[in-house]
Amino acid sequence: MMAVLQAYAPLLPEIIIVLGAMVLMMQGAFRPENDAETSRIMWLALAVLVAAGVAIVQLGEPARLFGGAFVDDAFARFVKLLVLAGAGGAMVLAFDEMKAQGSFKFELPVLLLLATAGMMVMVSAGDLMALYMGLELQSLALYVVAAIRRDDAKSSEAGLKYFVLGALSSGMLLYGASLLYGFAGTTSFAGIAAAASVAGAGQNLLLVFGLVFLMVGLAFKVSAVPFHMWTPDVYQGAPTPITAFLAAAPKVAAMALLVRLVMTALPGVQPQWQQIIVFLAIASMVVGALGAIGQTNIKRLMAYSSIANMGYALVPLAAGGAEGAQGVLIYMAIYIVMTLGAFGCILSMRREGGLVEDINELAGLAQTNLFLAFALAMFMFSLAGIPPLAGFFAKWFAFLPAVKAGLYWLAVIGVVASVIGAYYYLRIVKIMFFDDAKAPFMATRAKEGAIVALALVLVLGFVLPFVASPLVEAAGTAAASLK
Amino acid sequence: MIYKAILFLPLIGALIAGLFGRAIGHRAAEIVTTALLAIAAVLSWIVFFDVGFGHTTARVTLLRWVTSGNLDVSWGIRIDTLTAVMLVVVNTVSALVHLYSIGYMHEDPSRSRFFAYLSLFTFAMLMLVTSDNFLQLFFGWEGVGLASYLLIGFWYKKPEANAAAMKAFVVNRVGDFGFALGIFGIFFIFQTIGFDQVFAAAPDMAGKTFNFLGYQVDILTTLCLLLFLGAMGKSAQFMLHTWLPDAMEGPTPVSALIHAATMVTAGVFMVARLSPLFEHAPTALEVVTFVGVLTAFFAATVGLVQNDIKRVIAYSTCSQLGYMFAACGLGAYAAGVFHLFTHAFFKALLFLGAGSVIHAMHHEQDMRNMGGLKAYIPTTWAMMLIGTLALTGVGIPGLAGFAGFHSKDAIVEAAYAGHTPYNYAFWVLAVAAFMTSFYSWRLMFMTFHQSPRWKDGHGAHGHDDHGAHGAKHGHDDKHGHDGHGHEPHESPLVMLIPLFVLAIGALIAGYSFKEYFIGHDYKAFWAKALYEGPNNHILHDLHSVPKWVAWTPTIAMLSGLALSYLYYVLAPGLPAATARAFRPVYLFLLNKWYFDELYDRIFVRPAMAIGRFLWKGGDGTVIDGTIDGTAATVGKVTDRVVKLQTGYVYHYAFAMLIGLAAIISWFMLGLGGVK
Amino acid sequence: MALQAVFFYLFSFLTVASAVMVITARNPVHAVLWLILAFFNAAGLFVLLGAEFLAMILVVVYVGAVAVLFLFVVMMLDVDFAELRAGFIKNAPLGAMVGAILLIELVMVVGMRFAGTAQVVRGPAPAPVAGSTISNTEALGAILYREPFVFYLEIAGLILLVAMMGAIVLTLRHKDGVKRQSISAQNARNPATAIEIAKVPAGGYTVPPKAPEKVRS
Repeated sequence: MMAVLQAYAPLLPEIIIVLGAMVLMMQGAFRPENDAETSRIMWLALAVLVAAGVAIVQLGEPARLFGGAFVDDAFARFVKLLVLAGAGGAMVLAFDEMKAQGSFKFELPVLLLLATAGMMVMVSAGDLMALYMGLELQSLALYVVAAIRRDDAKSSEAGLKYFVLGALSSGMLLYGASLLYGFAGTTSFAGIAAAASVAGAGQNLLLVFGLVFLMVGLAFKVSAVPFHMWTPDVYQGAPTPITAFLAAAPKVAAMALLVRLVMTALPGVQPQWQQIIVFLAIASMVVGALGAIGQTNIKRLMAYSSIANMGYALVPLAAGGAEGAQGVLIYMAIYIVMTLGAFGCILSMRREGGLVEDINELAGLAQTNLFLAFALAMFMFSLAGIPPLAGFFAKWFAFLPAVKAGLYWLAVIGVVASVIGAYYYLRIVKIMFFDDAKAPFMATRAKEGAIVALALVLVLGFVLPFVASPLVEAAGTAAASLK
Repeated sequence: MIYKAILFLPLIGALIAGLFGRAIGHRAAEIVTTALLAIAAVLSWIVFFDVGFGHTTARVTLLRWVTSGNLDVSWGIRIDTLTAVMLVVVNTVSALVHLYSIGYMHEDPSRSRFFAYLSLFTFAMLMLVTSDNFLQLFFGWEGVGLASYLLIGFWYKKPEANAAAMKAFVVNRVGDFGFALGIFGIFFIFQTIGFDQVFAAAPDMAGKTFNFLGYQVDILTTLCLLLFLGAMGKSAQFMLHTWLPDAMEGPTPVSALIHAATMVTAGVFMVARLSPLFEHAPTALEVVTFVGVLTAFFAATVGLVQNDIKRVIAYSTCSQLGYMFAACGLGAYAAGVFHLFTHAFFKALLFLGAGSVIHAMHHEQDMRNMGGLKAYIPTTWAMMLIGTLALTGVGIPGLAGFAGFHSKDAIVEAAYAGHTPYNYAFWVLAVAAFMTSFYSWRLMFMTFHQSPRWKDGHGAHGHDDHGAHGAKHGHDDKHGHDGHGHEPHESPLVMLIPLFVLAIGALIAGYSFKEYFIGHDYKAFWAKALYEGPNNHILHDLHSVPKWVAWTPTIAMLSGLALSYLYYVLAPGLPAATARAFRPVYLFLLNKWYFDELYDRIFVRPAMAIGRFLWKGGDGTVIDGTIDGTAATVGKVTDRVVKLQTGYVYHYAFAMLIGLAAIISWFMLGLGGVK
Repeated sequence: MALQAVFFYLFSFLTVASAVMVITARNPVHAVLWLILAFFNAAGLFVLLGAEFLAMILVVVYVGAVAVLFLFVVMMLDVDFAELRAGFIKNAPLGAMVGAILLIELVMVVGMRFAGTAQVVRGPAPAPVAGSTISNTEALGAILYREPFVFYLEIAGLILLVAMMGAIVLTLRHKDGVKRQSISAQNARNPATAIEIAKVPAGGYTVPPKAPEKVRS
């Protein structure tokens, strides 16, 4: 018996999360329904995430289970820790705001836990079926939480849009998977890699079409242009803490899945997928940067910012190789921190009667709440890629592999896009510091403040060697384990 | 240890003033930062003599940062003669500016913040000049950019100051873009970003090419040009100069520190520092020369007609930076750095003097509202006079002169010795020297001589038609009538002491150091800090130019002085008459060759328009979708794609399908390498 | 074999034809009925493959449950399909163009396969059910509940759990004021909780007793 359990030990983090979700669901269903109880469940859900994180750290040798469908390697562990951190951070942000919006339901933490479990399956996927199952588990839970304020027309609309378009993208992904299966006769990444590495595989339309459809499906999940259209609407419509969740962990998971797919299943057709990635990267960087100009809603702005960021994260992937994967991982790690920090600030834009989302409401924030203004300014500077903040290094490590691989013009477009992007980030800074002050916001809540402070420390302190070096090294180890 | 002290004392000062400024009070913040800077300045001089004459060089590794693959980045200090020169310039001027600011800013309610910024800037600048790899250079580069943004926008309640700060930042980003690409390229080519390793590998790279869009492009030339783009941004060279005059909205001590002595010279420093690279890229050097000469000329022409006392000096700075670049481009790096060195003294002196004038006039900056101040602020007048003599390069060839005389004449001579096509560099620089003399003396005469115009408000405009363009009028009126009930007064001692010190520098810095910087001892002095190719003898050649060449700048200077005296002292009606006679030329110069307007048309408005289009077209309006079904032309298809952010799910789904079809078709049509 | 081929083409043709009718039918109820026909034909295809269990499941689950649910929903919702279709017509030309491009390209993939220009790397064909001594259902079970498929089964279970929770959290509403009988609560009542004795001072009045404890629904 113990030996059997020992064999499944690499699944422990997922098991902890899934079991935790079910126990909490039961607790929620059988205990009285009130805010105190829901708070308790939220705390317990956070504890579950922490426990899963501890379990990941404690894992032994890398392993492959279920005929390679579940891969536990350094890459998976690195990304899973990121995902857990992103999910946990967003969950902390969700407490008070969801309570204030009157939609504080115990299902929320349970669904978020299940979504996290889905993401963890995704990043460990070594088989097309595991890929799809993880993706659906994650997506379905996210569709629901996006619409969780069911009496709010915007939230419902966001959930519905996300669902319909997500279903379409799933259809494309499945079609691509079936084409690949038709080509290789197997769904495992290793098998596909073997079949696709024969000479002339890149000329095979079945393979190339399967590749395209599959990548389109994943591009939707990372909201790369032109499969990004849902992003601004869903970000704006969903309750803000949920938006924070959507913007952080799922992006990392989907990006990691994409990396693993192209690097382990399709190394034989790199010239082909490289073109697609380059196209997606350029389109995302440009549309993300240009689309954000003129936005007045801060959540929509963050949506475009997120689109552009996904474009930057795709740049090193286009370069390929372990260094490219490392670039993606570093970028996503820093992206999570900046995003959660920025959303912590957005959640602190409160007046009587709820959150305000208009950027102009930030006017003169520096005079009424200097800490918040400073923190948001730092996140904006960081997103704009100004040294010595973390965002600069993210871009540095993203563009470097592309330059090394000879994709100069991709790096050039990236730098141009980030110059354009700097405009709208700086606009916010300008509004906060130089415009006439409007009515002050309510005091920042402790939980938001904690997240903002933590993210701020990381963004400012990234330049310190004991912050940057371990991350870079861990990402390097993780990337090297992709085979 | 002494190096670390020099580097970190300003940072400590900045932190104390910035974080605890409110707790310890303004006075304490001022004293702490100024004292720390003064110590750093003294230490810098020690290092300077130690390195320059004792020939010690040093590499200090402070911190390993990231080691990953073949990327090894650590934070180290590189001390050689070039660094030592820069240390002296930066710390001396900075310490004096700190001291000066105590007097100049004594009415400002957030002085401690100001001092924190000043010290922070100094730290960033020190980072820049002590860097021993490209990433660190970039760090310092961006750091001074940030500090400059903060300082220009220090009076953030002024909308112009805000706009100027943004403008400085954005224009610099353009340069930094090239700079960053250059660093990427360096890493790609050399697999390292440490200076020593890159310089060691540079000779092997000379003349090699890479394929770009079917053209064979020289690698080193490309890299050097990209890096030079960064230098152009920082040093306000032609095309990227537009931020510098606007940056004068910041407090005057800031202008003296950042926009005269230190930050703007970072570009020159970089070219000198990277001389081992540039020496192997002759085409890039030609570009550097051309841009430098063009800037020297262009900025001087604009300086002729400006009325704001600080803007005149700003354009003068721009022009002098052009001289420095021209020298570097010709291979006379030592001459460029020498001019940088002397220029720091006399230009800071002029700026601080101008600050003293502005202080005396209660923050009036328009020279049309000054005049006759010599009687009221004689000390300032004397100091400004020394600065002007140094800037215009007064001296006797073959003997001795003010600081600028030695350095600038060396550059003009180098321009002759450098054999540019038609000797264009020499002639244009000589003409620029003439104009420099003219506008410098014009400034002196309009400010200190002539009859006072500040007593009767704007009555002076009648006899000097420089007020022809209306924009300034409102400004004048505000100050003109009752703002100056009392007479101009001399500045306090705390502001005058820096002037005295700088004046000494402006007097002797040229004569006492010329033998070391560019004279017989230059090889020993610079050691390996500056590199010269085997065929580069320009520093030797410039001493053997014909007599008439050596006299040319002096003659240009004297004729500029004479013309200025004629225009502004003997016949004060002449300027207006000239302006009327050559009105298009006058307006062209007054509007700075219309660069701001041009950029507004070319860059700012289209960018705004694109943004607005994507926003309004994309999100703002829900399109009704009444496309005539039969006439769905391609144009309309693309139109729809852009406007697709409508909120309709089926539009979104459609965009996805189109994207999919596009990628599929790409491969299907064989464009993606699939038959 | 010929008979099998005839039936294969019959079922396939009917499946595609009814699928086309689903999206073109004017009346939504008819569309659902066409959908049911498509399901039936797909079930027929399964039978031809020898997968009778899957065929039955398809009929039971999709026809019996899903399609009927669709019918209910379509009949209960008052959706003006004519109006929706107006938008469809407007965008039809562009849609048709993109659709046609995709279709042509996908057909070309298949075409190339037959033409032999694209070599298909085949994996091992699934092993036939040995000796047919075990039934279809058993064979499926043997795959589904063993490694590696048990992993997918577990995740599928989680996905269904999420779907269920989603349906509940988005639609279930607890209405206040609905009176439900709770026998245990009634039995647990005793005089101490049900009756309150108020002392009325002589010649005075008393405040009304507080409302009786609400029985939790």
